[in-house]
Amino acid sequence: MTLEEAQGYVLLATLATPLVTAAILVLIPSQYRMAHRYLSLAAGAVMLGLSVYVFAAYQVGHDPIQMTLRWPWVENVAFLGEKGVSLYLGVDGISALLTLLNGIVAFGGILVSWKIDYRPKDFFILYLVLLTGVYGTFFSLDLFFFFFFYELAVVPLYLLIGVWGSTRKEYGALKLTLYLVAGSVLIWIGIFAVVREAGLGTFSLPALWEAGQSGALSPAFQKTFFPFFAVGCGVLAGLWPFHTWSPDGHMSAPTAVSMVHAGVLMKLGAFGIIRLGIQILPEGAEFWMPTLLVLGTIGAVYGAVGALTQRDFKLISGYSSVSHMGYVLMGLGTLNAVAMTGAVLQMFSHGVMTALVFLLIGAIYDQAHTRDMKDFGGVAKVMPLWVIGYVIAGLANVGLPGLSGFTAEFHIFVGTFRSYPVFGALGVLAAAFAAAYMLRLFSIVFFGPLNPRWASLRDARPVEVISGGLLILSILAMGLYWAPFVDRVSETVLVLPGVTN
Amino acid sequence: MGAEHAWLLAAIPAGAFVVLALFGRYLARGGDWLGIAAIATSFALFFPVLADFLSEGDGLGPFTAAVEWTRIGDFSFPMGIFVDPITIVMLAVITTVAFMVNIFSVGYMKGEPRYWWFFAVLQLFAASMILLVLADNLLLLYIAWELVGLCSFLLIGFYWEKRSAVEAAKKAFVTTRIGDVGLLIGIILLWREAGTFNIQEILRLAEEGHFGHTYLLVAMLFIFIGAMGKSAQVPFHVWLPDAMEGPTPVSALIHAATMVVAGVYLVNRMLPAFEVVDETLLVITVVGLVTAILTGFMAFAQTDIKKVLAYSTVGQLGFMFVAAGAGAPEASMFHLMTHAFFKALLFLAAGSVIIGTHHHQDMNELGGLWKRMPITGTTFLIGSLALAGVPPLAGFWSKDEILVVLDKQWGPWAVSLLGFAAILTAFYTTRLFIRTFLGQPRDPHIAEHTTETPPVMTGPLLFLALLSVVSGLVVFHEVGTALGFPGGFGEFVFLPSHGPHGYEFDAAFAGASVVLALLGIFTSGWLYWGGRLDRSTRLAEWQPRLYDMLVNKFYFDELYQAAIDYGILGFSYVVSWFDRYVVNDTGVDGSAQVTGYAGFILKHLQSGRLPHYAMSLALGVVVLAVAGLVMRG
Repeated sequence: MTLEEAQGYVLLATLATPLVTAAILVLIPSQYRMAHRYLSLAAGAVMLGLSVYVFAAYQVGHDPIQMTLRWPWVENVAFLGEKGVSLYLGVDGISALLTLLNGIVAFGGILVSWKIDYRPKDFFILYLVLLTGVYGTFFSLDLFFFFFFYELAVVPLYLLIGVWGSTRKEYGALKLTLYLVAGSVLIWIGIFAVVREAGLGTFSLPALWEAGQSGALSPAFQKTFFPFFAVGCGVLAGLWPFHTWSPDGHMSAPTAVSMVHAGVLMKLGAFGIIRLGIQILPEGAEFWMPTLLVLGTIGAVYGAVGALTQRDFKLISGYSSVSHMGYVLMGLGTLNAVAMTGAVLQMFSHGVMTALVFLLIGAIYDQAHTRDMKDFGGVAKVMPLWVIGYVIAGLANVGLPGLSGFTAEFHIFVGTFRSYPVFGALGVLAAAFAAAYMLRLFSIVFFGPLNPRWASLRDARPVEVISGGLLILSILAMGLYWAPFVDRVSETVLVLPGVTN
Repeated sequence: MGAEHAWLLAAIPAGAFVVLALFGRYLARGGDWLGIAAIATSFALFFPVLADFLSEGDGLGPFTAAVEWTRIGDFSFPMGIFVDPITIVMLAVITTVAFMVNIFSVGYMKGEPRYWWFFAVLQLFAASMILLVLADNLLLLYIAWELVGLCSFLLIGFYWEKRSAVEAAKKAFVTTRIGDVGLLIGIILLWREAGTFNIQEILRLAEEGHFGHTYLLVAMLFIFIGAMGKSAQVPFHVWLPDAMEGPTPVSALIHAATMVVAGVYLVNRMLPAFEVVDETLLVITVVGLVTAILTGFMAFAQTDIKKVLAYSTVGQLGFMFVAAGAGAPEASMFHLMTHAFFKALLFLAAGSVIIGTHHHQDMNELGGLWKRMPITGTTFLIGSLALAGVPPLAGFWSKDEILVVLDKQWGPWAVSLLGFAAILTAFYTTRLFIRTFLGQPRDPHIAEHTTETPPVMTGPLLFLALLSVVSGLVVFHEVGTALGFPGGFGEFVFLPSHGPHGYEFDAAFAGASVVLALLGIFTSGWLYWGGRLDRSTRLAEWQPRLYDMLVNKFYFDELYQAAIDYGILGFSYVVSWFDRYVVNDTGVDGSAQVTGYAGFILKHLQSGRLPHYAMSLALGVVVLAVAGLVMRG
């Protein structure tokens, strides 16, 4: 077995770990609560380890797609030809980084879900299924499985929020699900159109990418169907004006789900735009990208401005997510290598810092049962560790150098200025608004005299310190020495069709 | 140990920061000894760097070293250091003042909570500030620029239990951040045309006319906005007086001697590019003049010692910008250096007063302190005279230099305006000294309990007082040469395009300068001598509205608050409202209701109740079928 094959099995193992664990959990009766927790945690640790391996073992300077594994499934049936549908796994630099993100956030999410008392078995099963879907989407090089895993990631959300959530949870869950399903419908239409138009009788993504670039898909076709992918995936990525599920969804979701949702799932949308939109339909992308850039910029400014006057912690983070995902779309919209690298870095950066923020919000909400900022004041006195974590996440959010947010945003700005100076400048301005809303939150909640009502709040617990520490470490790593991240991502971005250097 | 190791100056305090931040609270004495040792090492290492720099070649060749940090296709990003005379002057100022402030803080911060954290952040600040002046490229400079801003934020808000301190920290961060938006845009605009962040490359390309005129003009104005924000020039000046909420050693180090001069440093560093689009020079000069005069007036009606000094700092930064705008980095950097010493001295002496009087810093409660605090009083007097521009103290020489170059570049109008600002400076400085140290104590109770501070605090005062006396003397060719600067200190800092030219001592200007200083001093003395306030009170009553303007600092804060409340926050409320009610309730929930009605009809067609989720899937299939038909046709 060559290294490449062996690494393909590593991907399969990463994908199978949560799924198999979920299957085992189904078999364990629900009264064995600790067994469910420990088993999930073990699965989380294995996923984290494997994800780190995938990221670290990805070789810079080789073929962009590595660690491939292909198991044919349906061949020569109806319109399907040779290798029609197969379980085809592999990673490129972009998905390698996002795999790492998923490993970190998933582990942290399982850890902070330790205290969940209401039907922990079902919670962990759904959570693990969701994670399987996320890994599967990142690994799939086959369009059929891409969509399958994509849906597998989205569907459990409804139950996770609707059952374990808070604050208008049914409304938030329903709205989010309707939105995402509507997006999925668009993607589905796009997929069938592409497979049919290409006429290759295969769902293999590399084959379809080839078709898109060689002219087998006509420019008119590409221009028609690019919006299906861009909007369909964009809904999940918080694309303005299809973002309103985000503040409500985040507000309702339980901590671990907020973490993985804002941290990883939103990135799934942006990843879909790259995988399906840019790679299959490069000419469509070239035609529509300026529009995406405009929408992304609007989202970046709109989210930041909207966050300025919110009072609920989670709404602030919800709007700030819209703003930061706006940066991602803005970076992708330039089709410029530097900005697109920045966009992918931003996916990771936003993932870890938002996961951290939601983790911390969950930690205080569990005790205080309110998320209204005006109720707080001076909590740094009683929760110093919690405040330090939040300040680091907040400053990363603001784009302070030395933390991951700056690394990502600076690449986006630099690349955007190349072709669109005005939009780049608006993006920089939105970062100043970010400073305003974050510092407003800091000053109201953390500092000033301690509100005696909160004198008994306890600081972050060990599980929160461990998972938070892991996230902080990631924020610092990308902020201080970003070469390992940039090398992996940029190499892949540079070979994307239509990307200018 | 040569210039190539200059990065150690930043790395050592950075390492101390990491240790202090993680373990400071467990160390003996909060680890203050580690902080002082780190900054003392940087201070000591500065001298071999200087010696090596002076001995290399003709002694003026800049030194540079870089490593590639990342590369994306053709977009390469190296990080490196650059040492030239401007850097050397900055390093001298930073390491000296930081060293003194660290020692002083041991006395000043004694018994404060989070003592260890204070020293940790001081180290991070020193490291970032040194990195800022060593950076060979604008991106690294920007990184350090933001980090010193962070330290400023953390230290202004050091007493975070106090609401006012938190608000001041927020105001400082957000205000400078607005300037930073300009700086970042400017940097990226320069990169866009030059293809590099390297400062020297950009300057070379600018001089060769690589940029279009208008393009470069816009880019440099954006850069200057960043400089204005950091150096608190009008209209960004509002954050600096509020920043006095921080512990006094911080005011001395960050908000007088080092961080706030980063803007001046940046303009001097980029001056060749500013000169290419020389319209910007007029802008710089005018901003400096307006700031110097306005803040001179604002300092009139302040009664808090630190606030007077803060306005004075803003004004003196204006002087430095005026010099840079006159195309004279040698005068600008000279004033930057002398000001750093005497203003750090004044702030630390003010800190000594605060400790000596057990936390009183309002002139209305003080007076007659000289007898009780002889060392603090004497050093404060030296600092005041240097600030007022009395020969032979440091401030006199550097201010005189600025007047000379200003006359040469812009002529009498500019000189008279700056001369007026110089009178104002001498006036409020004298008022400050008389009302704090002379006359009878206004509150005998406070005076009774006042004692001189311990040597750990007076020591740094004496050292800085010494520098405030002698540092101006480098203006003389012989002194500079004797110190090892070839061609004297005057020829040390210069623009390559102009070539070095020494300081010019002009007797007429020197005479006029002394007259201006004395004018301010005597007016002030006449008004306040002996602790009397009747004359100034009558003056205030004579023109109450003018007095109101001064007390309220020309209503800048009120104006900004209104702009924020009605402009930005109003905008935010509109966006939130739009998002909730238009996009969400009408656009989303509204269409959901339509779907709901459709579901109601469909429900009767189906046997059981359908959850919304399955409902949507069904709808999706319909849409898909329609789309399939459309495609086929």
